[in-house]
Amino acid sequence: MNRMCCSLIALAMAPAAALAQTTSAVEVPGRLLASNCFQCHGTNGSGGFERLAGMSSSEIIKEMQEMRRENPPEMMDVHARSYTDAQIKLIADYFAKLAR
Amino acid sequence: MIKRRDFIKLLSGAGVGMTAAGWSGIALADKRRTSSTTPLVPTNIGIKGKVVVIGGGMGGATVAKYLRMWGGTGIDVTLVEREAVYTSNIMSNLVLNGQRTIQSLQYGYGNLANKYGVKMVQGNVLAIDPVGRKVTLASGATLTYDRLVLAPGIDFDTVPGLETPEAQAKVPHAWKAGGQTTALRNMITAMPNNGVFVMTIPAAPYRCPPGPYERACVVADWLRRNKTGTRVIVLDANPKIMAEPNAFLEGFALHGIQYYPNAVIDHVDANAMALYTSLQSQPIYANVINVIPPHRAGALITDNGLADVNGRWASVNVLTYEANHAAGIHVIGDASATTQPKAGHIANQEAKVCADAMVRAFAGKNPDPSPVTNSSCYSPITADTASWLTAVFGFDAATGTMKVVGGAATEAASRSKDNYEEMVKWFNTLMSDSFA
Repeated sequence: MNRMCCSLIALAMAPAAALAQTTSAVEVPGRLLASNCFQCHGTNGSGGFERLAGMSSSEIIKEMQEMRRENPPEMMDVHARSYTDAQIKLIADYFAKLAR
Repeated sequence: MIKRRDFIKLLSGAGVGMTAAGWSGIALADKRRTSSTTPLVPTNIGIKGKVVVIGGGMGGATVAKYLRMWGGTGIDVTLVEREAVYTSNIMSNLVLNGQRTIQSLQYGYGNLANKYGVKMVQGNVLAIDPVGRKVTLASGATLTYDRLVLAPGIDFDTVPGLETPEAQAKVPHAWKAGGQTTALRNMITAMPNNGVFVMTIPAAPYRCPPGPYERACVVADWLRRNKTGTRVIVLDANPKIMAEPNAFLEGFALHGIQYYPNAVIDHVDANAMALYTSLQSQPIYANVINVIPPHRAGALITDNGLADVNGRWASVNVLTYEANHAAGIHVIGDASATTQPKAGHIANQEAKVCADAMVRAFAGKNPDPSPVTNSSCYSPITADTASWLTAVFGFDAATGTMKVVGGAATEAASRSKDNYEEMVKWFNTLMSDSFA
């Protein structure tokens, strides 16, 4: 939500920069990847299981790393094992930018 | 936890109630949305496009919502759906043991219209013109598009002996949640002591791989507690249990379910309530026969020459879900042929990949080269325990397919009450991600 507000304001304030804004609004790093979390954690990371929107990136990464070691794995532990470190970083950075 | 769940339930209920207003309130909602007070859909982000989505199930509803959420007001989205509300197949086995009503599984389209500015059209599709890029509705109206998304779900083969509506009423599939689900529930409650319940499972691929085994478990669990001496027989056209084998083998043992693999249905005599299979020449007589027929994509796919896989399913490019043989037409969810299961949770994620690819395409950009999807679900084994199944899929450039990370899906170590609680939360959140 916050992200959308920001892009709205940015567009309104700086129409000359519209092209650059368009590019970032179309290709938001980590967004499609993070949308795999929305089915259980809610659209944009709130409204379901643990709220992810606005969590710090390092906290999400730490929790995912811990979940990789759980045995026998619960459902989330399987997901933690199935994403690469780079993918988890992208997901974590995406949620960290959303409003808490 | 309970409070939040109730709140979600309330919200879903409101969605259904708002449906009628949703249809008529479209123009009003569209104007409201362009003001800066509605942050759910960003004002034009510099791209323009016109998308028609046909089919308002898990895939269709999600792609419509995310096209607006990610594409902004420049993307004009129309969703064509023949029903006024969507009835969830997920959790519908719990209608059979009396834990749910069909009404509790219904979701309206009011949120898509009012919150996201999706233009809702209720009606049937008459024809698709892929060259002129337009859809003609049964009402005579035409809708033009830049890109078309087809999400018709599944259709069934006709089982010999079940050609007439009368025979189908006696032997329901209840594999599209609705009236047949309630009818099957009533047949189960009317079963006599020492009665027999028989169900058949079609050859894969079919919708919701664990679903039939889950059904056998919850029905047998209910019968065990409410009738004496009943038998549940499962006849599977597949050589083995297709999902969560540990959970279901344990469930079958717990409930005393008789399971027969490699049992292909030959025909049904609905008047005699007799089922003939490849197993033996004599029929199996039963008080309740639940035949889940073999599947194919919805008629929208087969009627429009898009069923290029075994004449049943549409092949697609999984980076975009664009049909391999129809430029500008995307097929998501159960109707497409991919390496992913046919199920609502993953249809939701396929829809997001498709929406993202379309938004990028309208900006002249390539799709994400390495999309990830996931399949996750819970299966009740008894009235208060469940197991789960999950897999994350990554794009494999060498084969152009989605492959399970780690090689195989993972199932729960054991069924539990915690899993049952989580199942309810998962379901409510998933439905909100698609419909709210």
